[in-house]
Order: sequence, then structure tokens, then C-alpha cells
Amino acid sequence: MTLLDLIRKAALRFPSRVALKDSSGELTYSQLIGLSDDVARGLLMRGISMGDRVGLLFENSTHYVVAYLGILGAGCVALPLNTDNTRKNLSYVLNQCGAKALIGRHRFIKKYDLWGLAEAEGLLIVSAGTGADCPAHDGRIITWDDLLGGPVKDLPTSSGNDLACILYTSGTTGRPKGVMLSHENLRANAESIISYLGLGDLDSILAVLPFFYSYGSSILHTHLAVGGTIHIENNFVYPNKALERMAREEVTGFAGVPSTFAMLLHRSNFKAMKWPHLRYVTQAGGPMPPAVARELKEALPDTDIFIMYGQTEATARLSYLPPELILKKAGSIGKAIPGVELRCVDRAGRPVMPGETGEICARGPNVMKGYWDMPEETEKVLRNGWLYTGDLATVDEDGFFYIVSRKSEMIKSGAHRISPKEIEEVISELPEIHEVAVIGMPDDILGESICAFVVPRGEGFDERKVLRYCRRNLASFKVPHRIIAVAGLPRTMSGKVKKFLLKEKNFTQPWTHKGP
Amino acid sequence: MAYKDEIRAFIVENFLMGEDSTSLKGDTSFLEEGIIDSTGVLELVGFLEETYDIRVEDEELVPENLDSIDNIARYLEQKKG
Repeated sequence: MTLLDLIRKAALRFPSRVALKDSSGELTYSQLIGLSDDVARGLLMRGISMGDRVGLLFENSTHYVVAYLGILGAGCVALPLNTDNTRKNLSYVLNQCGAKALIGRHRFIKKYDLWGLAEAEGLLIVSAGTGADCPAHDGRIITWDDLLGGPVKDLPTSSGNDLACILYTSGTTGRPKGVMLSHENLRANAESIISYLGLGDLDSILAVLPFFYSYGSSILHTHLAVGGTIHIENNFVYPNKALERMAREEVTGFAGVPSTFAMLLHRSNFKAMKWPHLRYVTQAGGPMPPAVARELKEALPDTDIFIMYGQTEATARLSYLPPELILKKAGSIGKAIPGVELRCVDRAGRPVMPGETGEICARGPNVMKGYWDMPEETEKVLRNGWLYTGDLATVDEDGFFYIVSRKSEMIKSGAHRISPKEIEEVISELPEIHEVAVIGMPDDILGESICAFVVPRGEGFDERKVLRYCRRNLASFKVPHRIIAVAGLPRTMSGKVKKFLLKEKNFTQPWTHKGP
Repeated sequence: MAYKDEIRAFIVENFLMGEDSTSLKGDTSFLEEGIIDSTGVLELVGFLEETYDIRVEDEELVPENLDSIDNIARYLEQKKG
């Protein structure tokens, strides 16, 4: 039984129930399955085979989900891509995993000028949306409607061990790594989440997190597997609009990262509104300060609040804190989700004693198969049957986990994980910058904001020029929020930048003069 | 008209990094063009509150008030009334 089988079963039980609703309309379960099967047949008819990687470049939308399930139905491997991106990064990812096709929104394909990949890489490009100016290319560039045509063809059956999708995450080295997830990974994680959230077919959720990240993807999987309804909302920049819709649709669930809740609690009408239908709220994607958790609980006294933890390498979810313990175990990420083992180990791999700090390791059917074509990177994190998460934690006497810090320098800003290395590499390309170090600084709304310390070369340093260059060469969520010019960077004896010193509040004082 | 010029200057300076874009028209949607994200909206609100000595209430945080130069100018006119 795969995740897709679960969704098909839900569609047989509730064919006329609304599965998805976005600004362009809604799809019932029978329409969703019908259209996604059309996508699957369309891909197979055009020479795409089982196991081939197919890129997916859409904002959250019914198109995204139809194409995603269609790719899985054809036995292909879905490659969800961030729509806030650069041409360079998209080309790298599609090339690194040898993608055979790309299905995407016309405006994104145009924005990143990906048409040339049809000829250069032999990619089949399917463009959804206004397709009037798709360049013709021997049937390798087609519209969404072209794809859906074609005679009936039997669809293949995938096994649990077959690859279902590859989610690219920012690597600490700056190169994104493709997390390989099997059909079994997706099913196992979805069923585990469904069981502890108690999700059923009467549940509905307002989805504001992108489906191309693991958290958003798990919301999609779990709600479709039970026959629930997903209300897609892409306008969370103005939370009051989203809240109006949430109240109007009487949704039973909501999921966010820390910045989502900071926005809700401090820049919206959320607290003044009543939420009688909201059965549960989930939070993951970074630590929620206990004070915010308390404030959220006060705002939602009758709603279950689940604090959760996980990572893409574990499909999405690894632990959760039962809602009744949110105040008693404040600051904890809870315990392992059903079907998963979690432990905290020392450098030698031995479980640590309560109160001691160790690295979180996980074992279970949700743990990835590895990173695509990166065996050395895979060996670093998959050892002796365990996934080494890189997150450091303590465990209390009752077995509850508390994150202490992350081993990696990844910045968590909003819903994004960002590699400082990638930003440093871009800024270093500027001739007027001698050296640079990028860190995440605490931020009330974003969790962390991006701060670049630069040592200018000579005079005439212009902060705006650095920002302009970043805007041209980085996805917008990776553009630093602050550029601080300093005379030099603190380093260890071996020359490594002491980033922990940069994070100290008073660090900038002796260095703020612009020079040298 | 003064509002529009000042807002335009703020957007160009802070979100377009000084690169004046002729495509930034009075009715250009900041969201649709990817000019402003959620933190950008908060920066914009901070600018409006400080420059025009107003308080942007939570319920006023809607695209009808803030998502283009024209919308902001209209909102300010009502607010300053």
C-alpha cells in the first residue's frame, strides 16, 4: 500500500467531497484522481518512464497537486522545486538528478528562462497557464492541456521501496542535496502523523506553508490520505485575509512555523477572533519560545496545540509533544512519533544520561534512502541504521527531548532553511568585498534574520550595491536583512571564522567603523 | 501626489535597492511582482507609522490599503482625512 493507494481509497469513499480549494476553484476527490491519472498517462505517452525524475515548479495550487499525484501515478519520481529560486540553482538541481521532464507554471518557467533546457538537456517541458508565448520545440515544449490528451494507457504499480520524490535541501557546503524518499517513507510518515493528530475525513486545513518543503508536503499527504479538505492560501503576507477565510471555511486545522504564529499573535486580528471549529494547530520548523507557546494557548484555550520536530531526511516528522503537556513540558519537542525510535547519543554513539547533551538520532520507516548521487554525504548522516540529525538535545527523566542547538550553521528564517555558505559565496564575488561571514540573528517574527558581516576592500563601500547584487543572484528569501561592515572577522587559530562571537550582541561595537 | 512620490522613493530605495524601475507603476501589485514579502510589509508599515505619524491597526493590514503605491496613497488620505 502506497500513499497514492491511500488517496485513491479516500477518493472511492468520498468521490464528491472537495479535496482542494484554491483561488481558481475547487477539485473533488474523483476529479483530482481523474486529472492526475490523465497527467500520468500523458507523461508515459511522451516517453517518460517509471523511475524518471520529473520537476514540479508551481506555487501551492490545484495544478501542483494534480501534477504531483500524476507523477507518482506514472511511477516517476517527483522533484518539487522552490518557486522563489534562481535559474542557476534550478538548472543545477534538474541536472544533478538527471530530470527528464519539468511541469510548471508558465510564469516561473519564463521568469527563470528554462525553455532552453528542452534542447540542451532534452527535457520535456509542460507549461501551465497562459501558454501563448511558449517557444515551439519539436513537441518537447507543450502546454498543460496538451499533456492531458491522449489515449488510455494502463498505469504502472509502484512498490514501497521505489523512489517517490526527491526534496532538495540547502547543504552546509552550499550545494543543495537531494533527499530521496520512497513510497514507503511517505506512507509511513503520513500514517503516523494521522494517528497522533487523530485526523479524519471531516478535517479541513488552511494550508499556508509551501508544498515543496517537507512540512507543507506532509500536510498535503495526511489530509488527502484521510479524505479531508485542503484550503490553499498563498496570501499569508496579509494574515487578516487568510484569517477571514479560515473562519469562513470553518477549518478544523492550521499548521505553521514560528514566524507564522508570530505574525498571527502580533500582527493580525487572530486573538480577537473566535475559533470554535479549530480542533488542532501544529507547529514545527524551528523552536517556538515557551512564552509564544503560552500566548498561543491563551488565544486558543479549546484547541489542541502540537509542538513538533522533524527534518526532510525523515520525510517530515520525528517527534511531537502531546498538547496536554504544552505548559508542563514547556520548550520540549516531545517524544518520538508512532513507529519511530529517537535517542540522544554522545560522540561515541552511546545514549547519553538524562540532562546530558547529545545528538538526536532516529530510526524508522520514514528515514530517507539517502542523498541523490552523494554517497559521501549520505554516509555522514546514515550510520548503523540510524539517521544522525545534526541537532543537539537533552532528554529529561521522563524521556522528553529538548533541543539545545544545531550542529550545522543553517539559518532558519520563516519557513526556509538557508545555507550561509551560499550567500557568502555570492557576496565574495564582489571585488570590493575582502571577506564575509553570514549568520542568523534572532528575530521576533522570522525566528532568524540573515545578517552578513563584510570586510570591505578599500574605501567607497556601498551597502546597497551588495544588496542589489544579492537580489540579482539569490532567491529573495536568501537576501540578507542586514549588512554590517566591519574591519575584520574574529578567527580561530586555524583560520575558521568564530561565528558564535558574531552572534554576540556587543560584537559590532568595536568593529562598526567602515574601513579599512 | 506628494504621498505617491514619497512612497515610491521608499520602495525604490528599500526594496529595489535604488534601482528605479519604470515597471513600478502606481497600480503595480507589490505582492504579484515579488517586490515585498511578509517582512517587507512590516517594514513598510514601520515607515508609514513613523513618517506620517499614524498607527496602522492590525485590521488595516490588508492589500487594499498597502499593496500598491496608489492603494497606500488612498489609505493615507483617508487616515489623515
